[in-house]
Amino acid sequence: MTKCALITGVTGQDGAYLAELLLDKGYVVHGLRRRISTFNTARIDHLYRDPHEEGVKFFLHHADLTDSAGLIRIVMETQPTEIYNMAAQSHVKVSFENPEYTANVDAVGTLRLLEAIRIAGLTNTCRFYQASTSEMYGLVQETPQRETTPFHPRSPYAVAKLYGYWITVNYREAYGMHASNGILFNHEGPTRGETFVTRKISRAVAAITEGKQDTLWLGNLDAKRDWGHARDYVDGIWRILQQPEPDDYVLATGETHSVREFVELAFGHVGRSIVWQGEGVAELGMDKDSGKVLVRVDPRYYRPAEVEFLLGDPTKAQTKLGWKHTTAFPDLVREMVDADLARLRGERHDSPGHASRSAAAD
Amino acid sequence: MRSEKGTALVLGVAGQDGAYLARLLLDRGYQVHGVTRAADPAGLSNLVALGIADRVTMHACEIGSTSAMRALVEALRPAEIYNLAAQSSVGLSFGQPAETIDSIVPPTLAVLEAMRGTGLDARFFAAGSGECFGDTGAEPAEEQRPFRPASPYGVAKAAAHWLVATYRAAYGLHASNGVLFSHESPLRPPRFVTAKIVHGARAVAEKRLPMLKLGNLDITRDWGWAEDYVEAMWRMLQADVPQDCVIATGVPSTLEGFAARAFACFGLDWRAHVQCDPSLRRPTDIAVSVGNPARARSALGWQPRVTMPALVDRLVEAALRAPPPAL
Repeated sequence: MTKCALITGVTGQDGAYLAELLLDKGYVVHGLRRRISTFNTARIDHLYRDPHEEGVKFFLHHADLTDSAGLIRIVMETQPTEIYNMAAQSHVKVSFENPEYTANVDAVGTLRLLEAIRIAGLTNTCRFYQASTSEMYGLVQETPQRETTPFHPRSPYAVAKLYGYWITVNYREAYGMHASNGILFNHEGPTRGETFVTRKISRAVAAITEGKQDTLWLGNLDAKRDWGHARDYVDGIWRILQQPEPDDYVLATGETHSVREFVELAFGHVGRSIVWQGEGVAELGMDKDSGKVLVRVDPRYYRPAEVEFLLGDPTKAQTKLGWKHTTAFPDLVREMVDADLARLRGERHDSPGHASRSAAAD
Repeated sequence: MRSEKGTALVLGVAGQDGAYLARLLLDRGYQVHGVTRAADPAGLSNLVALGIADRVTMHACEIGSTSAMRALVEALRPAEIYNLAAQSSVGLSFGQPAETIDSIVPPTLAVLEAMRGTGLDARFFAAGSGECFGDTGAEPAEEQRPFRPASPYGVAKAAAHWLVATYRAAYGLHASNGVLFSHESPLRPPRFVTAKIVHGARAVAEKRLPMLKLGNLDITRDWGWAEDYVEAMWRMLQADVPQDCVIATGVPSTLEGFAARAFACFGLDWRAHVQCDPSLRRPTDIAVSVGNPARARSALGWQPRVTMPALVDRLVEAALRAPPPAL
């Protein structure tokens, strides 16, 4: 039997990588996207073919996690064997400004999808993956964080995601559903959204290199994260749903790096070495050779409640799933800077958020 | 924005806790403003039963709407806000999970956003739940115990709890969760198992019911007295420093013990009159739920006055004073 997957949030970084992986494995893939007035399919354009052609395995549907009726209809029509819930308002800082929307999409949206599975009569046949997040650990209770570490969310995003996590566990226990959580630590890549700090840095380094920007403004330089490559992580996600028993897994690199290190490596890749001067809001990052100020701090980018030190322990995923991240941190940084340089130079057109319609050219 | 001293806003004022809290606040000289979904007069029966229906100023407000909540808060400038509104039945939450979260998370967020947006120096009490802990095991749960909710109700209450904690940390709001374990009173509606048992035992004694059907009798709970719990809510908002508190008795009792005591009050042996009905079991049920009220004792000077098994006797006495309800 051909496996059939439904992916919410298919136009996002993870959804697109996952769609590509599943198509490679021979799945029929149904992707859900929100209807918006601009093109936002840059990350999946290279996967898409006209449905009138023969042998097409990738289909897009308009849906929204805030609309139960649409979700139920699509689940019933497509009869998926696996559902991956990758859709979310996934930006922590934005969640402080749009907490209600964040809760509606990330928390209630997950519930709506689980209920759609039950209503469609697929409780016993359809596996469910919930994209949970290391942000749920927030004010960390132990380091490194593993599956048994208590949660302490620190943002409306993390709170909404924690609801999604627990309601997934509850549907597994109450109805015997094959429903699992991946607790993913930060995972980046060249198609990361432009408002996320890693992508903001790689874009700025490219723009500064090309003489199109002077300064990179950042928030907390000492925030530490466990950063992996999204391409590695979607493989872990797929493995979670191939297990005979549903369970929850941390996917992480087990390494931690600061925003400051990311900045240094990114500039290092274009041949600039950064020296730091001053402290806190007054801290500056200068080009060692020219003395030009390239990095400044803007407290507007501080979070109202900061999460200081996230470091995941991927032992369970390694042992049970045979999964391990393969992209080293410096390689991740280099790949992101190279991709943004290529975009600026017109050699690559998949920058999300821009109205481009070309196939991705890696 | 400066709040109006002595003005309190109670969301969910027509429920068991809302009614008792409103009475407590009125007794202490507060102007009490209330909001309830139950707009028809019959929905105010708890306020009528306590004789305070005409002393609470009622407001129509879609409490899940941030803008409506903000408008109400701006108009009243309450010094204390209590959110007791919720779809509060664990069993019902499996059948109505979306309605359950909609009744719990958006109203909590709306109050927090109203406080943040207006800068009102109000204090906020959010009714949390011992259900957030899931199965506590024999060791009573204190505030530091990690949550592990086991029902859509518990999951929604946990999300609301963390929103309150997040807003307190991020914006310095005086906002606190009372992590309330089960608390009973004669105002409990019969869909709750304790009220069902008390009224059922009476009905059996009065030969109106041959047999009382119950679900899982093996569960252990921490039952307290609602009037004690609203006292704890009020004390939490009188504390200068906001913090979350478990409100419980710390006394574990089984449902079987509860039923045995209730039937004994009518001179009956429960074993002859109770039938276990597996269809009444929940998809996931918590075996043990017991709280540790040590912090409430030390920080608030709060003590539960009514505990098991005397609590059952009180419920039976109250039931006998009331006309028999429809079963």
